[in-house]
Amino acid sequence: MTQLSTTIRPRTHRTDRIESRANGLLGDCRRAFHAFGGLDELAENLRILSLNAELAAGRAGEKGKAVRALTQYTRELVNRLAQIQGEMHSLRSRTFAFSSTILRSLMQLNLFERAGQLIDETSGAGGKPCDSARRAFADLMSVLVDTLDGMADAVNDLARRTHAVEEVVSQSDSIATNIAIEAAAAGVHEKEFRTVSDTMRTYVDDLRQMIDEASDAVRRASEKGEALRRIGLDALDELHRNS
Amino acid sequence: MKCVTLFRQDDHCWQMFGQDPDKPDNVIDTNQYLIRSGDSAILLDPGGMEVFPAMLAALTREIPVSNIKALFLSHQDPDIGSSLPLWRRVCESDVKIYLSWLWAGFTAHFDREATFTTIPDEGMEISLSHDVRLRFVPAHYLHSSGNFNVYDPKAKVLFSGDIGAALVPKEKATGSAFVTDFASHVQYMDGFHRRWLASTRARDAWCAQVSKLDVQFLAPQHGLVFKGDDVKRFIDWFAGLEIGAGIAAMNR
Repeated sequence: MTQLSTTIRPRTHRTDRIESRANGLLGDCRRAFHAFGGLDELAENLRILSLNAELAAGRAGEKGKAVRALTQYTRELVNRLAQIQGEMHSLRSRTFAFSSTILRSLMQLNLFERAGQLIDETSGAGGKPCDSARRAFADLMSVLVDTLDGMADAVNDLARRTHAVEEVVSQSDSIATNIAIEAAAAGVHEKEFRTVSDTMRTYVDDLRQMIDEASDAVRRASEKGEALRRIGLDALDELHRNS
Repeated sequence: MKCVTLFRQDDHCWQMFGQDPDKPDNVIDTNQYLIRSGDSAILLDPGGMEVFPAMLAALTREIPVSNIKALFLSHQDPDIGSSLPLWRRVCESDVKIYLSWLWAGFTAHFDREATFTTIPDEGMEISLSHDVRLRFVPAHYLHSSGNFNVYDPKAKVLFSGDIGAALVPKEKATGSAFVTDFASHVQYMDGFHRRWLASTRARDAWCAQVSKLDVQFLAPQHGLVFKGDDVKRFIDWFAGLEIGAGIAAMNR
């Protein structure tokens, strides 16, 4: 009977560092999507408001003509929001698929790093180096860097969608202002049009708040994604230099 | 992680890896077995992800990982094969993975890119080398519904999976890989067999089947290895044990 024993299991550092940053990145992405969580409801509310405004404009006859035109613009903005919303759903799926690959790769990297350290420690005591473990680590790091590239693209897409929502907000704000102006000259219909304008402003404020929260998370995600990519590339360079 | 050689004759060898002193306490201790013959090796129940680093390090002290031509999974549990995607990354791309036909689709959840060589219910025989043949012996419902042991007639070793498993408390471990006092060892396997194993029909069939084999070492996936007369002692003890203890909870 032979009996051998490996030494105490060490902690790992390189993958721990990547892991903590990746967790931060994934957290920021989650926050950005969460910020837009109420977009569905807001778009629906805006659609109903535009329908009600159109009815009010019809009741106002000639005095409601301009408001009717403005409600049609609002409807287009609602359609634009629905389109952005659909794109966000598919972007969210893509981002969470990347997250899953990143987390899986990190877990595997961590285990290979631990194995590599144990092998290095025992190779001094007669063990053999394990090239396949090093190769596996390098392959996984490549997968991680590629996935981080994909994630960075997804974050950029998210930034573009956020910007598109910003444009909708800005146009909605203008429409609300114009309805308020029309209300001033609408006589007995003033109150009704002013209610439409005020409600629209409330929705615009809600949208603005969403954008503020999301933009902050997207900016941080973008910085972290880039930093992570650099760490991954540096790690790959180091692996290639040592191979 | 300890590596204990159970059998060696020329280049034919059985080794057990386990009793890792650095293993986290909340992770159940497992035994991984390596059968070697010439430049070919098969790894039986390669283990869970958590034991992979220590297992790979211990194994590479014995053989180059490229010698592993096959992996065998006795059943679908995570402590048996959740390390599969990691092993596939270090083994050659043509490494064979043997597993009950019942579990291929389930085990793909550990590793969706793995290709399995499925074992039919009756079992099968493979050649590890020109003179070492291994038999995958059915052990269904003990505890898994698609479950296999591995018998090596030349080495007279039976890898018995969860049958014969024992949960020996850390403070009671003697450092030996073998059962040295069967009577006192019973306490560590009694609860496990009563609760994890359920089918008395399957148990009886297994006992009858294994009694016909010439077994010098009965090597379970958890706990200590039985050798010599303790193999028969174990089979007799198991044959008379009341199993399926969990059923009582349903009859209240």
